[in-house]
Amino acid sequence: MSEYGLMGSELILRGRKTVLVQAEVEIAGRETAQGAVVESQGLTKVFRRLLAGRDKAVCALQDVSLSVRAGQIVGLIGPNGAGKSTLLNLIAGLIVPTEGHVTVCGYRARSVAARRHLGFMPEHPVFPGVYTARAVLRYHGALLGLPAPAIATQIDRAVQQLQMQEFIDRTASDFSQGMKQRLALAIAMMGEPQLLLLDEPSNGLDPVGIVQLRDLLKRLRDAGAAVVISSHRLGELEKLTSDYLFMHRGRIVSIAEQVAASQAGQLRIELVADGVALAERLLPASKVLSATDKELMIAVADPEEVPDLVRDLAQGGARIMSVLLQRENIEDLFLRLCNERT
Amino acid sequence: MRAYELMKETFYRRSYIWIVHVSWFALYGLYWWLFLPEGPDFGKFVFVWGGFLLPLALSAGIFGDDIGSGRICVLVTKPFWSGELYLFRLLGLSFQAVVHLLLAGALVLGLHAVMDKGNTTDLGLWLLASWLLFNTCAALSTTLSVFVGRAFNSLLLLVLVAAGYFVMGMLMRMLGDNAMTGAFMSFVRYGWPPFTLLHKFAAGEYGPFALTVGKFSIAKDIACVVHSLMLAAAYSVLGIVILSRREFSRVRD
Repeated sequence: MSEYGLMGSELILRGRKTVLVQAEVEIAGRETAQGAVVESQGLTKVFRRLLAGRDKAVCALQDVSLSVRAGQIVGLIGPNGAGKSTLLNLIAGLIVPTEGHVTVCGYRARSVAARRHLGFMPEHPVFPGVYTARAVLRYHGALLGLPAPAIATQIDRAVQQLQMQEFIDRTASDFSQGMKQRLALAIAMMGEPQLLLLDEPSNGLDPVGIVQLRDLLKRLRDAGAAVVISSHRLGELEKLTSDYLFMHRGRIVSIAEQVAASQAGQLRIELVADGVALAERLLPASKVLSATDKELMIAVADPEEVPDLVRDLAQGGARIMSVLLQRENIEDLFLRLCNERT
Repeated sequence: MRAYELMKETFYRRSYIWIVHVSWFALYGLYWWLFLPEGPDFGKFVFVWGGFLLPLALSAGIFGDDIGSGRICVLVTKPFWSGELYLFRLLGLSFQAVVHLLLAGALVLGLHAVMDKGNTTDLGLWLLASWLLFNTCAALSTTLSVFVGRAFNSLLLLVLVAAGYFVMGMLMRMLGDNAMTGAFMSFVRYGWPPFTLLHKFAAGEYGPFALTVGKFSIAKDIACVVHSLMLAAAYSVLGIVILSRREFSRVRD
């Protein structure tokens, strides 16, 4: 099925199945990737200032190839200046690539046909003058070319899905950040696009709003929409998606090996007594990180070792009170990768 | 539906726009009250305020606001030709001008009927000239707004017009009538908003040509109207090309 050539490593992270999207998607020899909503090849963007020399040019994105299929949520992660927003802007057709190309549902980004299939939510949404939220949604529905009854239906649905009942008839420019985010998401969802591009969608949302957003995006994914999210909130992203693109200095960095390595962890076992004797008798010395009568710290290379280790200890007479596997999560991994690259 | 929403938005995009219209009407009334006991042309006053200063006030930041705030990024990802965004906003301005000038005309005629002051001769022609001038100035200001991407497009146009006439005056005084001043004059005559042309058109200063009604030459008057509309169209095409090719990004990742 993975015709578009997603190469990834399947692994267990926090008990969930995680696939790391690897950057250099192999699409050579095929014209288009089947089922791909977004597809780019050799995407490069250099920002040049008018009348400035070549040395002043900034290469924001360099040779990025990727593919996002229908029903997939992809998280763009990376430090500031990594090129995440540039990539979103290129997919949205707001800027033109210096080299390479990007398509949305098979149409060149920036074309009217491509725009029919995408909804874009900027990081800092702004709404016109004195419009209420309902008028803003009606306005954007009209820009999409929807007939009035369809606009009304979609507004009602967005109000329900995003819990906007309390402020739908209030002036949008006076909204709090959380309300603005909900309205911006409702705008992006109008017309039921196949691709949603979201820049920091959970900015300013309260905890309830974040949970609702997560549920909504999962429902959209299940309905077949592709969602690309740029976010610095890795904890939230981790709960929402299993596919990441780690970006650094304009490139997509393959982090499959690092994440695989990060699956190694420390097993902390609380015992009633006799921890030191049990460790000497049952465990290889190289695995024991520390041992006291009440607690053992054991190195594990693979989480699948844990059941066997615990069983061996129990069969050897250990009275186990608790077991905790401590591992690097995506946030720790992100910080480590950033530190390694700076 | 889309056209209606885009045209409506040009009115609602800034809360001060209705204040501009109302204060402008107050200004017309005040001018009538204070300065027209003997009956000089009211039309000339409307021509300057309604034809030149009104489009500057209404079109300030018409695209610059959106570009500056990043709202344009959502607008240009909608599935329609970017030129529509420009055209319907400009038509929104033009429609406001039509309503404004008609109300101004009604105000003048009403005051004239009540107070029997001032001169309403050729008022309709002055209102038409004001609307034509409004369109060219609004189109140029809107194009400047797309180009500079900030809200000072109107101020820039005001400075450009003032600088243009200043340079023209200086050239005429210093160099007299030669090739350089001739070329500059030609540019101003054909490429600049047609202030002089439309002023003469409304004042009936064109002599009889082929078809003549009263003091007006219909052929020359039609040429004035066509020239003004073509100039507005040319400014618009320039703005649409810039809007279609321009990149919009607020990169902060």
